[in-house]
Formats: sequence, C-alpha cells, structure tokens
Amino acid sequence: MKQIVWIMMSVCVFAVVSPAQNPTYQQDPTWHAPAEAASRTNPLASRPQTAAGGHKLFVRNCAECHGKDGTGIEKKHSADLQLPVVQMQSDGVFFWKITNGNTGRGMPSFSKMPELQRWQIVLYIRTLKQP
Amino acid sequence: MSKTIHSALVILICLAARGFAQESPFFVTYNHHMEEPGNLDIEASTTSDIPRAGQRFYFAPYAEFEYGVTAQWTTEFYLESQSSWNDSTVFTGWRLENRFRPLHREHWINPVLYLEYENLNEASRIQKEAEGEAPDVSSPNAVLTPQLDRELEGKLILSSDYHDWNIAENFIVAKNFSQSEGVEFGYSFGVSRPLGTLASGADCRFCRENFTVGAEIYGGLGSTLNLGLHDTAHYIAPVLSWAISDNSTLRFSPGFGLTQESDAVLIRFGYTYEIQNFGSRISKLFGRKP
Repeated sequence: MKQIVWIMMSVCVFAVVSPAQNPTYQQDPTWHAPAEAASRTNPLASRPQTAAGGHKLFVRNCAECHGKDGTGIEKKHSADLQLPVVQMQSDGVFFWKITNGNTGRGMPSFSKMPELQRWQIVLYIRTLKQP
Repeated sequence: MSKTIHSALVILICLAARGFAQESPFFVTYNHHMEEPGNLDIEASTTSDIPRAGQRFYFAPYAEFEYGVTAQWTTEFYLESQSSWNDSTVFTGWRLENRFRPLHREHWINPVLYLEYENLNEASRIQKEAEGEAPDVSSPNAVLTPQLDRELEGKLILSSDYHDWNIAENFIVAKNFSQSEGVEFGYSFGVSRPLGTLASGADCRFCRENFTVGAEIYGGLGSTLNLGLHDTAHYIAPVLSWAISDNSTLRFSPGFGLTQESDAVLIRFGYTYEIQNFGSRISKLFGRKP
C-alpha cells in the first residue's frame, strides 16, 4: 500500500511541477484591441508600489497558464510575456486582453476582477520585460 | 476501504494546486462569468428555513461539482437531500446543468444560455431557483418523496460588468414532465461588488479585496395554467462571499420572504473549493496527453 501511495505522490508531484516556457509561441493575428482601448493609460502608472499586489494576482490567476515567471507554457499555447513582441504592446492592449480573454484559444475573460486589479496585473507584467 | 479513502485523499491533495477562488457571491442568480477551462469547483451548500406558522423547519444540504469544459462552456452536477424537523431525512435527487456563453468578447450585456435537467422529487428544498408556484413546505416527506419532479429548465442569463459592479438578470422557463403544471416561469436579479478593488501586496485573509457583497431578488411568476404572482414565493437576499484562501470561498445569504407563500427566512451557506487544471491532471494520471 505504501508503494502505491508513494507512486501516486510521485505522479502528482510530476503533474504539479510541470515544465514552463513556450519558445514556440505564436501570436493570434485576429486578437486585436480596438484603438480606443489600446490608447488607455494605466491609472496606477504613478504608483509602482502597487505592482506587488499585481504579482500576487498574477500568481493566483495567470501563472497557471503563463508560468510563474511569465514565460508561457508550451502545451497551453500561452504567451511568453517576456518576449519583446508582447512587451511592445501598450498597457491598454494588455488591459483589454485581460478583460476580454481569447476564449477561442482558451484564455478566459477576467472581467470579474475589479478594474484596478487588472491594471495592477498590467503593471506587474511590465516588470517581466527583459533588460 | 480505509486504504481506498487514503489514496483518494492523496490524489485530491495533489490535485489541489493554488488557484484564486473569486466566485460569484450569488446562490440563485447566475452571471456571465464561467468556470475557467479545466478547473473543477467542489461546493458544499445548505439551504434551511425559518418557517412561518404551519410550515416545517428543514435543512437541505447539497453538493455541486462545476467543471469548465471550455472558456465558453461550464457544466455542473448536483446531488441534494433534505431533512425536516420531526420528519425524515431523504435524498431528493440530482441535477445536471450546462451554461453556454455564445459571444467571445465582453459586451455591455453578455448573454449566457442555460439548460438543466432535474431528476428530483417534491421533497426538494434547496431552492436553487424559484419558478412557478411556491413549493409545498407543509406536507411530510412520506407524501412528497413519491411525487416525481423530472424537469427541463432553461434560463436566459444576461449579465453586465459596469466598473466594479456586476449586474445580472435571469429569466427562467421550466417544464415538469412528471406532472401537469404547464410551463412555469421565474426570475432572479442580482447585483454585487467587491469591497476592495486594489490588491494588497501581502497575503492576507481579512483584506477587503477578499470580500464581495451584494443582493439578489428572486421568485416565481406562475405558469401557463396560472400566470401571475398568485401563490408564488419571492425573496430578497443580501449576499456575502469571503475568499478565505487561494482556492476556497465561503458564502452566506439570508433570504427574506416577501409573500405569505414564501418561507419567512431562507438561510444559505456555501463552501467552494477549486481544483485548478483538474482535467489535464486527471488525463496525466491515466497516461493521456492533456
């Protein structure tokens, strides 16, 4: 019995510690924010300390698919948020994408989160930018 | 037997990854926020009443399993029972429901289509929705249990997020195939808002951001045989939810009866535990590629 439990725990640990990074990430060319949404600025831009809350929210809501370091997970086809092609998008685009999701490709909408919390996540995603 | 339970517990603990259970605070009203794909919510809830004269006190626990099949399709399975004061404890049946969100993006009003099959009996008391006329809460379980209630129920769910408020309206149509009750109608409306809109950097249990408050109002609108408010139950119910940890939420709602046919007060409690990536982890355990 101990052996069975041991094997099960090993399988589970393997399942939980799944490999991250998505080097094959391809952007969805049909997933565009409207111009008005893309031009929105982050109301928390002058409060960088709120990115700490953004990190907490990111780990809770986003890391499942994007990885704790934001590099994406290949099997989930999720974006590597550190890539320049991602980071070059405006804060407004990030906010719109978090709000609306891309349900056709498995990204849910996070409009159930308060607006400021979504902006906090945007603020945190900016800290993932590669130097 | 104990080894089986032990193994099951090990699997469940392994599967329980971190995830933030930011659940809707409503018990009756649905909004357009679906379960995240691959996640499983396990919920234990109860409905009990403070009866009026001539009504019986009851306690109706139910279990709910909610799974996000895709980002636009959520399915739920319920098992329910009921225990009445000075009477018996009975199993009252099961429900299977599906919610489909046809539109991809967020809109001013987001429609969701809801379809449910119920295989219940008339002793059911969980009151997940109110439709048609008020249920019989006076007769003993021995009389109510043999009366089947096999019902197909549809809802049009309309829901909007306006700034940090969620406003949801549900319109209900139900047809009981076991009895000649015509087609029944009902409604529910809900509004909710988180207490805190900015997340603190620290992990905390009692931060305002972990609490959501709101209110819902629900009731029956009669049937094609007796359309209108006659003999219908209606409630107004404040709701409170508390995300007590990353993956569990506690909810509470006292519902106050607005008509003589309503219970004086409905007391509802719910505890939800979310397992992230349940589908892919189960696939892995059985050697399948997720």
